Amino acid sequence: MKFSTNWLSELIDGGVNVNAAELAQLITTKTAEQEGVEAVGAHFAQVRVVRVIEAEPIAGSHNQRARIDTGAGEVTLVCGAPNCRAGLLTAWVPPGTTLDGGRAIGVARVSGVESHGMLASGAELGINKDDDGVVELTGVAPGEPLPGLSPDHVIEIDNKSLTHRPDLWGHLGMAREVAAITGRRVLDPVDPARLPAAAPAPFNVEIADHTLCPRYSALVFENVTVGPSPLWVQHRLQSIGLNPINNIVDVTNLLLAELPQPTHAFDADKLQGATIFVRRALAGEQMKALNQETYTLDDQALVIADAAGPIAVAGVIGGLDSGVTQTTTRIVLESANFQASSVRKTSSRLKVRTDASMRFEKSQDPHNTTRALARAIALLEAVCPGIRLVGGLIDNSAVLRTPPAIELPLDWLRRKLGRAVEGAEVRAILEALAFGVTEAQPGVFTVTVPTWRATKDTSIKEDLVEEVGRMLGYSSIPPTAPAVPATPPPANPERDYFHRLRAIATQQGFHEVYNYSFVNEPQVRELGLDPADHVRVLNPIASDQDLLRSTLLTGILRNVRDNARHLDEGRFFEIGYEIHKRAGGELPDETPHLAAAVYSKAGDGTAGLLEAKRLAQCLAPGAEVQAAASARAFEHPRRAYDLVCRGETIGRIFEFHPKLVEVGRAAIADLNLAVLQRAGQPAIRYSPLRRFPASDFDVSVLTALRTTAGEIQAHIAAHTGPLFQGVEYVTQYQGSPLPADRKSVSFRVTIGSAAHTLSNDEITAARESLMAALRTAGYELRG
Amino acid sequence: MESQLAELKASALARIAAAASAAELETIRVEVAGRKGSQLTELSKGMGKVPPADKGRIGKLFNETKTAIESALDARQAAFADAALNARLDAEWFDLTVPPPGVRPGALHPITIIQKEIEDLFTSMGFTVLSGPEVETEFNNFDALNIPPDHPARDMQDTFWLEGGHLLRTHTSPVQVRGMQRLGPPLRMIAPGRVFRNEEVDPSHEHTFYQLEGMMVDREVSVAHLIYYMKTLLQGIFKRDVTVRLRPGYFPFVEPGFELDIQCLLCGGKGCPVCKQSGWVELLPCGLVHPNVLRLGGIDPEQWNGFAFGLGLTRLAMMRYAIDDIRHLQGGDLCFLGQFA
Repeated sequence: MKFSTNWLSELIDGGVNVNAAELAQLITTKTAEQEGVEAVGAHFAQVRVVRVIEAEPIAGSHNQRARIDTGAGEVTLVCGAPNCRAGLLTAWVPPGTTLDGGRAIGVARVSGVESHGMLASGAELGINKDDDGVVELTGVAPGEPLPGLSPDHVIEIDNKSLTHRPDLWGHLGMAREVAAITGRRVLDPVDPARLPAAAPAPFNVEIADHTLCPRYSALVFENVTVGPSPLWVQHRLQSIGLNPINNIVDVTNLLLAELPQPTHAFDADKLQGATIFVRRALAGEQMKALNQETYTLDDQALVIADAAGPIAVAGVIGGLDSGVTQTTTRIVLESANFQASSVRKTSSRLKVRTDASMRFEKSQDPHNTTRALARAIALLEAVCPGIRLVGGLIDNSAVLRTPPAIELPLDWLRRKLGRAVEGAEVRAILEALAFGVTEAQPGVFTVTVPTWRATKDTSIKEDLVEEVGRMLGYSSIPPTAPAVPATPPPANPERDYFHRLRAIATQQGFHEVYNYSFVNEPQVRELGLDPADHVRVLNPIASDQDLLRSTLLTGILRNVRDNARHLDEGRFFEIGYEIHKRAGGELPDETPHLAAAVYSKAGDGTAGLLEAKRLAQCLAPGAEVQAAASARAFEHPRRAYDLVCRGETIGRIFEFHPKLVEVGRAAIADLNLAVLQRAGQPAIRYSPLRRFPASDFDVSVLTALRTTAGEIQAHIAAHTGPLFQGVEYVTQYQGSPLPADRKSVSFRVTIGSAAHTLSNDEITAARESLMAALRTAGYELRG
Repeated sequence: MESQLAELKASALARIAAAASAAELETIRVEVAGRKGSQLTELSKGMGKVPPADKGRIGKLFNETKTAIESALDARQAAFADAALNARLDAEWFDLTVPPPGVRPGALHPITIIQKEIEDLFTSMGFTVLSGPEVETEFNNFDALNIPPDHPARDMQDTFWLEGGHLLRTHTSPVQVRGMQRLGPPLRMIAPGRVFRNEEVDPSHEHTFYQLEGMMVDREVSVAHLIYYMKTLLQGIFKRDVTVRLRPGYFPFVEPGFELDIQCLLCGGKGCPVCKQSGWVELLPCGLVHPNVLRLGGIDPEQWNGFAFGLGLTRLAMMRYAIDDIRHLQGGDLCFLGQFA
């Protein structure tokens, strides 16, 4: 929303007494956030009315050489406008002037003629978009400034910060704030006495549901001449971003930008019948709107209709056929109030947001409809000479509720703010903002809320804390430590655990990545998953981000591929949530996972698998791998392993199927952290240090190539007997002189006793018994 | 005898001094001072023929000669040992400018780093850290935060809607609701997490980013307390004194609501491109918890008060590390991520 400081000044007794930049800062700290200040029409300080004395074509060019009377002498210049002619009163930009946008005007030779400044179009002066010719003026004399036009500043305020303030969508509301901030008085431009006392004009208004339309007021005018507005009106609208259209429409826009009551003018002669209906649309009803679009309405949309059908979508946009045109001579000026949520729903369903709908959806004040009409009479008379009222005010209104007063205990207010404040100061602040204050009982104010603040914004005492606080200035509140018990907070074991896992993973050389939660069907299918099992985004930002990830591996695979383009190797991990659909409308299941990858361009991938295993065992001490029953589609068919910890399957280690990774190998560890945390870590318990030395001996087993070391090791552990203390894998070998289908795997077995040092006989006996057990189990022994 | 001793001493010392190696020195030791058949042993045999009157003097001279030769031998041997050790150590010259074997430590994600710091800061002040789901109900994300359906404030947060009427949380504020229901008053909590807005991605906008929500509910909680915690928080984050200002801001779940700005750390408030010449940088929205929100969280607003704030972790990480493109954070590029080790 843009505010003209000139306009604000007109609405404040004594005007705005600070410069625009300071004003914008004050508004920011006390009311709403400014987004910028822009100087508008600074050139109006130099631009003057001139009369063209003579204009003659310059041979070989479309330009004319014009002599003009500036009121302070004659000047010659070159003008290309087709309407430049002798006798024309127009606008002259003297040399040395800089126009908005930075264009500097000087003395220049144009078409061989020395041209002093230029004659300007409405577009060049920022008054409107008219670029067909130079400005045409009447009723002014050479040397005068352009009537009603002076340098201005426009302050842009962030719309989001006005969401709760229906009144600040117009200059009057902002002027009231500025007046309160600067200690001045706001001037209400509305004179309610202008409303005619005559019997209502001959139109009925029928409102089907006063909840949707609490009030519909209107005036009827005749003897209307539709034409351009005076330049000052056009400039005012143009500078705050509204397009000047014609005098009638411009008045509705002035009302919208000032009070801020949206209004709409119908061509009275195009309405069918003498009744205006405010009703829900019939499903499928159509209307061609002012923006040339045809809208098909559903039965939720509220419309204004005549006997023939919709003539406006209530609070959103008017119909084209009933609109004001150059031939209009009678108008019905609608000034109504519509339910905010209904306007918002319709506007978002039709995908049309207008200046009117933006205001209505903030909950406008129904008291404002007739005020706007009173103001309209004055404005229309100014811009449309000869216009006449027909009859009196049409006003169909629900009983308007008086906002309930708010009890404001001053002591409570002080405790909320955390600073002292005198009752008199509180009263002064509230009254400057048009609240009514009485002190019914000592220390408790009874505060009445102005109607334009009561629609939504202000209804409870907390709202008044904000009014007082912001006007006092929050910088006046001293930071204060609260008196609270110094107890340790409840723990969040999950979060602590994740932080610990992150620390371990980084110590192992893995970088932490964050991947998006969004995936798409091809990505999901590539991993052999069914898109139907994924939560679907109804309004994805792009069609390739329409599902929520059910595994971290989609992101990890992308990371592998992206990094493989410029790195020879890489290690990374992510902790994130898998999102799984749940039946019955419940929120999806979010399962925390840690997925890690070891990528290497060189090698056969086995080193990566071992690294992935080491990481998994660091993260989950005690975890062991077991060959998986079967590999999934995206896994290397012979390199997929379950990760088992204390009887629970906590995850998987595997290599991405080489067909998914163009160059190099990627080993992956994927751990379900919910299960892992549940599997937990056993409490650490000290075991006594041995008092007698242990002994060890090596065993080498000759076995089939795909017998796992783990399997043999488990056998050794189970069959070494009571002296067994441990067994460690040493190495394995295949090749000459072993047969091609055999490998030798060596282990170091440790035995010992808590009671004595083992004798050679005991050692030999233990060894022999183990060998026998292994042979019985079908293993061949070597050496 | 006397002259023989002097001769032996001179020749032995000369030979010792001339020895070229430890082995040669050993040969000399055996020949000159060995137990059997050495020159000294042979000479000692002549002691019996020395007249008794000279015995004391000659004996002493003999011992002196022997000691002189033995010390020379020892000294020379030690010198050979030293030289040998030095030669061996010299050969062990090692270039430690080569990188150590094994992988270097990985890096935490910059958002994790910032988030952990702030979590630690708040837990040290008695706040508990809560988590909430990324997929939320419309009620928790909006209604319970005083944003009813068709409230224009819903436009402030472009929402990703999911099948089944759920949504991706647009802020971490729903964890306030969960926190109030779970903990009850009084409570102090923070909730960091991933949030989503339906926005096009460019160098400064992301549809996925990270926030940290905070809330305190107690009998007496004022704007003054809120400012205190925010200042403490920001000093903890920026490791220096920061000047803050509160100005009105509209968020339906707080009343009054504020935008908290910090004085620009780059220019000190004079105005620069970072603060868009204003001297202030908008950092976090906050406010006193709206009574409706307390009520919907099962807390009686007549008995309890609270404040709440939201901190953009993504923004903080970008400020801290001068990251100029938000897309790096979710880009998964190890060359980027490795910089935070």
